[in-house]
This record gives sequence, structure tokens and C-alpha cells, in this order.
Amino acid sequence: MLPSPHHDVAAYALGVLDDEDHEAFERHLMECEECQIELRELSEVPGPLDALRRDRSNSLDDDRTSH
Amino acid sequence: MPVRRQLDSRFESTDTDAVLVEDLYREFGVPLLRHVRKATGNDLQWAEDVVQETLVRAWRNAGRLQREPGLLWAWLLTVARRIVIDGRRRRGTRPQEVEPADANAVPVPDGADRALEAMIVAEALRELSPEHREVIEQTYLQDRTINEAAEILGIPPGTVKSRLYYGIRALRKVLKERGVAS
Repeated sequence: MLPSPHHDVAAYALGVLDDEDHEAFERHLMECEECQIELRELSEVPGPLDALRRDRSNSLDDDRTSH
Repeated sequence: MPVRRQLDSRFESTDTDAVLVEDLYREFGVPLLRHVRKATGNDLQWAEDVVQETLVRAWRNAGRLQREPGLLWAWLLTVARRIVIDGRRRRGTRPQEVEPADANAVPVPDGADRALEAMIVAEALRELSPEHREVIEQTYLQDRTINEAAEILGIPPGTVKSRLYYGIRALRKVLKERGVAS
């Protein structure tokens, strides 16, 4: 499957786009109604993921290796 | 009073700016802090710093954001997340000295809810395909950017992005069915 600029919306919602891509997608976002609708939907997903991350950091500290 | 008028016009833009930041705080300060605290592991001081930095960035981008007011909330969440991720990466190599002490000092009223939510999310992730689960794990849950995750996984960044796209959509669907995401 070919990469589409629209696919960046998920990475943008999670805040994990590299700086250059983040800025490029933000420009795209201002013009693309489809991505605006999707962003509003997807921006609710990271919150629950944060709950999981916190739960893990409390219980899995022993497994941590330096990175 | 000419002097007064002169001062007024001189400080006019500063006053407007201050009002704008105040407005942003009033409207978004509380809900944003609630979201950010989840991301900072309930570290309130850190969360407040993140909210402040986010709202200042919003103010700097006000011209652009005012064209699409409906986007503002999603934009604030993304910016706040990036600030938290940056902060966590900087702290990454340090031992977690704050969290255990903080967890004891500050009562967490929703501790049980959070544990339940974490369990539901862990189950929801298991329902995704291994490829989708993997990119969510290697990006957001490990504080890595797309390019970093692509290198670790040995696949092109574009593939990470599209897997993440379908993975996050699938995750949202499962979470919605379980009443976790709206």
C-alpha cells in the first residue's frame, strides 16, 4: 500500500511524528477536512494508552534496561 | 490625556495577548491538565508546566488556529503530548526518583479506575493484528518517533505511519465497544 499524507493523522494525534513531518502534516491538516474529522476522533485514543503505560511503569520497572 | 492614550496604544497589543492567554486558560486549562496528568503519571508540577507551555504555543499559533477553531482542542492535545514525550525522553536515562514518592504522597482517587482502564486497553491491544500492536508499542508506548521506530523495526517510515493509522483506528473501535473511548 502506498503511503498517503492522510495516514500521518494517527502519528500526529499520538505526537510521534518527527519534527519535519509534524510541521508538514500540520500544513496539510489546515487544508484537509477529512483529516480534521479523523483527528478529532483519534485524539481520544492516547489517553487510554497513557493508563496502560503508567500501569506498566509501576509494575515492570525491574524489566527496564538502559536505552 | 495624551500620555495615557499613548501608553494605551503602546501596550494595546500586549494587553490583548494577555487576555488571549487568559481566555485559553479559562477555557482549556482544566480539561487539558486532566489529560496531561494521565500522561505525566499524575506528576502535577510537571503537568502544570506542560499545560502552560502548550497554551503559550497555542497563543503563538493563534492566527493559524483561529481559522479552524474546531481543531484547537485536538491541536492542544497533540502539542501537550509532544511536550510530555520530549520531557520523558530527557528524563529517560535517569532513575524514576519522583514517581514512587509522588504516588505515596498524593492520593490518587481514580487509582482503581486507572488500573481497570489499563487492563481494558491491554486486552484491546491483544485483539489487534501483531503488526498493528507492534507499531503502537514501538512508537507511542516507547516514546519513539516514527523514524526511530522504523529503524528499529527495519521497515520504511511510511509503512510505520500507515500501520499506525490502521492500528489506532482499530484500537479506537475496540475501545469504543468497551466504553473506554468516546
